[in-house]
Amino acid sequence: MSSTIAEQDVALVDLLDRLLGGGVVIAGDITLSVADVDLVHISLRALISSVGKLEERPPR
Amino acid sequence: MSDRLLWAYGIVPAQAVSPVSASGVAGGAVDAVTEGELSAVVSEVSRDEFDGESLRANLNDLAWLERVAREHERVLDELLAQTTIVPLRLCTIFDDADGTRQMLVRECEALTDALTRLEGRQEWGVKLLVDGERLAATTAPGGDAAHGEGGAAYLARRRQERQTREAARNAAAQLVDDVDSALRAHALDAVRLPPQNRELSGLSGDMLLNGAYLLDADQVDALRATADGLQERYADHGAQIVVTGPWPPYNFAAGEAPRQPA
Repeated sequence: MSSTIAEQDVALVDLLDRLLGGGVVIAGDITLSVADVDLVHISLRALISSVGKLEERPPR
Repeated sequence: MSDRLLWAYGIVPAQAVSPVSASGVAGGAVDAVTEGELSAVVSEVSRDEFDGESLRANLNDLAWLERVAREHERVLDELLAQTTIVPLRLCTIFDDADGTRQMLVRECEALTDALTRLEGRQEWGVKLLVDGERLAATTAPGGDAAHGEGGAAYLARRRQERQTREAARNAAAQLVDDVDSALRAHALDAVRLPPQNRELSGLSGDMLLNGAYLLDADQVDALRATADGLQERYADHGAQIVVTGPWPPYNFAAGEAPRQPA
């Protein structure tokens, strides 16, 4: 079944794909280069997947 | 140098600015900086947390990033319900209102174009997931080649395995094209985002398509109906179609700029 954002929590990965991969890129005064953000994005995908694995462990 | 910075969420038409009730990133009050016809929606953040090296370090802290991303999104969602917005990429940060105004002057033409192009339009996400084994089963060649022993039978088995894999790959590609083009029929523009793996998406099944579609607002019901119809049509592949939206138009705000390849 299809469902809207309002009906479910937005998955973090959907949000980050858009927030880090999309949106207009404008140079701000605090410089975080596109390359920086892309690096963050890549390391995050690894990070999120390892967090996912942790959550699959049985509760302590 | 002030110990405060301005975090920018997005750009809206100046006359459309109305108070935002959601609190901003790190609890800041949401405000607007206006220059001519454009307003940047901003809130104050502390330089300690959001400047240079500390920002880079914080971005690699998943809990910090999730909090900031959700706070950013909450403000944009509230704006989206009221007006057209050009969402900015996470971490667009200015020293102060003057720096923000200079940006609005510098980017005036592109931002005005984007607002015009996005007016009355919505971004929706559609994902297609299938059960990989069931999809492969619909394409598996019949006949049981070569159960015997020996080199010729071995080679025949290998050949059949290869053909089976190829057939499954082709069927998947065909399915993605069918679904994507049926959805694009409702859209003004569309992009394919990289499919997410199961651990990231938390969804069961193999994600074959992770699409974003820019629609006229009156096409949303039609898109949903098409998505439901496709899910039914491909039920024997274990197809799930997940529709999300409306999103701030992250994937369509930048106009014709080429996207990074997946």
